[in-house]
Amino acid sequence: MQQDSGNPNPKEPGLWTIISPVNKEIYTGMAVSLLSLIAWLGSIMLFLPITETLMSDETNTGHLWFLLLISLALVILSLVCRAFSFRISHLGAFRLEQILRTELTSRLAKVPLGYVVNTGSGALKKIVLDDVRALHAFVADSTPLFAKTFSAPVLGIILMFILDWRLALISLALFPIGMIGMFFAFRDYETARKKVDDATENINSVINEYVQGMHVVRTFDDGSGSFERYHDALDQATKTVRDWTAKSQTGAFIARTLFAALPTVLVLLAVGVPMYQSGNLELPVLMMFLLIAPTVTESIVPIVWLQQLLVNAAAAVKRIGQLRNVKLIPETEDAKIPQDASVELKNVTFKYENREDNALTDVSINIPAGQVTALVGASGAGKSTVAQLIPRFWDVNQGQLLVGGVDVKDMKSDELLKHVAFVFQSPFLLSDTIANNIRLGKPNATQEEVVAAAKAAQAHDFIMEELADGYDSVVGERGSSLSGGQRQRITIARAILQDAPIIVLDEATAFADPDNEAKIHRALAELAKGKTLIVVAHRLSTIVDAHQIVVLDKGQVVEAGDHQSLVERNGQYAKLWSHFDKAQGWGIRNQSTTNQSV
Amino acid sequence: MIATFKNMISACGSKASVMQSALLYACLAAVAQGLAYALVFPLFTALANGSTDVWWYVGAIILLIIADAYFRLGESKGGWEVYIEVADETRKNLGEQLKRMPLEKLARRQTGDLNSVLTGNVNDVVSIAGGLFGIVINTMIAPTVTVIATFFIDWRLAIAMMILFPVAIPMYRIIRSTAAEENKISAEAHADAASHIIEYTQGLSVLRATRQVGAQSQRLQASLARLRHAQTHGTKLMTMPTMLISALVQVGILAITALSIYLVLGDALGVASVLALIVITIRFSEPLAIFANLSAMFDFMETAIDRISELLAVKPLPTADKECVTSGFHVNFDNVTFSYDQNDEKVLKHVSLDIPERSLTALVGSSGSGKTTITKLLTRFADPQNGHITVGGADIRSLTQSELMSQFSVVFQDVYLFDDSIEENIRLAKPDATKEEITEAAMAANCHDFISALPKGYETGVGEIGGALSGGERQRISIARAILKDAPIVILDEPTSALDTESEVAVQKAIDTLVKDKTVIVIAHRLSTVVAADNIIVLESGEIVEQGRHTRLLEQDGRYAEMWQAQQADRHWQITSSH
Repeated sequence: MQQDSGNPNPKEPGLWTIISPVNKEIYTGMAVSLLSLIAWLGSIMLFLPITETLMSDETNTGHLWFLLLISLALVILSLVCRAFSFRISHLGAFRLEQILRTELTSRLAKVPLGYVVNTGSGALKKIVLDDVRALHAFVADSTPLFAKTFSAPVLGIILMFILDWRLALISLALFPIGMIGMFFAFRDYETARKKVDDATENINSVINEYVQGMHVVRTFDDGSGSFERYHDALDQATKTVRDWTAKSQTGAFIARTLFAALPTVLVLLAVGVPMYQSGNLELPVLMMFLLIAPTVTESIVPIVWLQQLLVNAAAAVKRIGQLRNVKLIPETEDAKIPQDASVELKNVTFKYENREDNALTDVSINIPAGQVTALVGASGAGKSTVAQLIPRFWDVNQGQLLVGGVDVKDMKSDELLKHVAFVFQSPFLLSDTIANNIRLGKPNATQEEVVAAAKAAQAHDFIMEELADGYDSVVGERGSSLSGGQRQRITIARAILQDAPIIVLDEATAFADPDNEAKIHRALAELAKGKTLIVVAHRLSTIVDAHQIVVLDKGQVVEAGDHQSLVERNGQYAKLWSHFDKAQGWGIRNQSTTNQSV
Repeated sequence: MIATFKNMISACGSKASVMQSALLYACLAAVAQGLAYALVFPLFTALANGSTDVWWYVGAIILLIIADAYFRLGESKGGWEVYIEVADETRKNLGEQLKRMPLEKLARRQTGDLNSVLTGNVNDVVSIAGGLFGIVINTMIAPTVTVIATFFIDWRLAIAMMILFPVAIPMYRIIRSTAAEENKISAEAHADAASHIIEYTQGLSVLRATRQVGAQSQRLQASLARLRHAQTHGTKLMTMPTMLISALVQVGILAITALSIYLVLGDALGVASVLALIVITIRFSEPLAIFANLSAMFDFMETAIDRISELLAVKPLPTADKECVTSGFHVNFDNVTFSYDQNDEKVLKHVSLDIPERSLTALVGSSGSGKTTITKLLTRFADPQNGHITVGGADIRSLTQSELMSQFSVVFQDVYLFDDSIEENIRLAKPDATKEEITEAAMAANCHDFISALPKGYETGVGEIGGALSGGERQRISIARAILKDAPIVILDEPTSALDTESEVAVQKAIDTLVKDKTVIVIAHRLSTVVAADNIIVLESGEIVEQGRHTRLLEQDGRYAEMWQAQQADRHWQITSSH
């Protein structure tokens, strides 16, 4: 029971290892559960002397009541122990949940940020919340059951042999027959079960897609097209489950029937009655067998449940193990501090773990302090990858990335992130007050500093005028009560307060409306004052004045220079620029109605 | 219990009769089991007396056990059928409902929420209906039958047994309400923890920079601590009632035993009966003790049934009976007023507008001004409280949904592609389209080239390449759909605003093809894209403040002119770090 059950891979910690922080509760729970079992069997055993006394001509009835009282005491002890074994194991399981969640979230702070971004908060939430919760079911419910399930037959069999070895052997006779039934029931169980699991999984993803796509589908017709897909997929999955049941039903039924109490009672009567009639058995002993033997046979059933619980827990353990196995970003011993606000990529080659091609090949870019550098190129050219490497979302495979003249690998990660602020396309807000959301950039900031940052980010006015509680207004879930542009300005206020000398900006591609767009632009201008700014540019107009424009294509730098020189070169940038010009001039049905336009 | 039972039967839909017969089997099996145990009384008495009737009793018990097994087989078959088929049927019903219910109601529900109804809630209902109810029936009926049989042996014992059940009932109530409370507390704490974990992972880069991570992340840690506290509290709440109810059962059993011993001592009862009584009561003690926990499961089922019925109860938007034929494709709003909820602020106020056939109409205004609502009402996302909307002269309420939707092609800013091949994704617009038609549409939408360059061409699964499709490419696939559909009215919801410069040109070309000879309604953020419109409608707070051609609106020097100038100025905005 102690070894890593069902997990041959030594690198992935098994179930028992993961739950080991609460071993104390687990073992106490098991011990108390065992005690409960022993007390219960004890109370039952007392019925033997009680009934024997009744059958004999003994007249001392005080003795009888005394035995009954002890039996009562034992029953109550058993109940108290049982309740407490579950309570202990539950509380242990809750403690384990908290330990694991703290451990996993701390770990998330040390793995490459890129892993976090790519995995997505939904999937991470599933591991940290739901999978950890799945372990709970195992620790809380099955550990006391484990103790009981495995000791009940053992203790029961011992008692039966003490009472009468012949009858004990007979009542065990059903065991092998039941086992054979079980064997047939659970033959191919693993593969069939997997098919059913897959089918269930499939049902879930079909439902998910159907629900998600419904809004879109309804704009095409009344939804019949996708309903058919949904309908067919459901039919398919249901068929799999139906087939599985048809195959396994009979075997499972036989096993379940044989391991129920009544067949055992039957065998005991068939053998016990003639034994009694021939004077080879006392009636109280037969009674004791009728009490104990069914308990022993029935204890097989929970073993099957426990197996299922183990299987469920194993899937959770696997996902938790995967998260635990993500390589940490190595933290240096000898930490250095950046000297200035410059950034330099020296012959950087980088490949995403699961991809074949390099995302960047031998890229060298020099970004002097206080300048604006724009990264441009088609989607997939590598501009976002360069941006993500600077705050060390990932480590480069070859070459070096220097911030302030120091290799990012020689810096503490919080030191690096104090120097580099990353402004994302999709703004992230806490469901907390506006003030706390801005203060996140500098936890000890005063209210004045918060307001100043909001003003600079063009957010002060709407906070005061449109929100009921001003800075104390609580942002709804995912900032739903604010418009996209407003949320963006709050995150810019946060970055202004954070005051990192280097800013990496993944320029937003879409803005809510013209008013907001202008305000965001002003906010960004405030943010960029006196900073080193690296912009992933989607609209070329915004970067015409950049000190340096770096053009990427297929993971390589193809051109670099200022706007004027690049246009004159007549290379890739010039092509992008003419595209841009064309896109800017476009309007629906412009050609046919040129005379009416400006 | 009866109400739960009725709900469950009706939740089984067309399989209600199967469910009923499975339950009947369960009852019969329980009766057989109860009688088999009851026969232990005469059996033991016969044994003690050395009577020859012994084998009759053994024989009867054997028959009852076989009957029990037979009935249980029937129950289990029916249970499985309910489990599998009801799940299938309910999901299909829910699926039908999703395509029927008003889109506005659909949009209000989060995808995750709907998912959990279709997966989790359906499962809760069928697993309880399919399996658990049989156990409950067994727990209730088998002991009852035994008690009744006991009357024939000794009425005093039977009455003592009968007292046990009623006494336990209030305890069951307590457990049920405690469990419900515990579930609620724990569900709330879990939801709280879930949102904090999501928040934490999303904000990790900021949190790392300010060292608010892991154990130092106060918000997250506080939420995790709250969760554990709630769980612990709930468990402690449950300990006492669970213990008390099992104690009640066990102590009651011992009391009955004591009573029987007392009767034996007074020579009012045979010793053999006491032995039989001990066997029976102890056999039934365990099921009775767990019965309370089982009853808590019914709350799960009740909740699940409620959530499913609630979804099924949403009425589709009514379609008027009178036949209505559309002639032409002009669109008209006559004095339309709309709010999402009766008491809410009005999103559109007395909006009247006219969109002639083949004209180009632009809707402009800041976010929340109502421009998207106009297109939503037109596609019957919801019905307005006041006013009429007509397409081709016909009130849209008199058209069926498919008739109405056949008038429109809609291209959104966000593109949703199904996890299927590109070809199937395009075909969605016209299920019987030939391969040639699809290729033609793709060519017209300027996406044939990149699709052909993919390893499997049109057969390539969208899921396989996932992120490899750029926003512009996805947008062009959605335009190919719209072109294939060839609906007379095209609605564009700022389809180019989220694209890279390079994709933008390609998408623009695709749109040029799409809008040829169509009635076009476009929601525009970038005003320069709609200067050629026949009519530009400027909305503010749900009202039309201006409308007309670009040049006329500029001359008016109103809201439109103001927005135009702001955008023109911003076009020359550039990021610089030195100010």
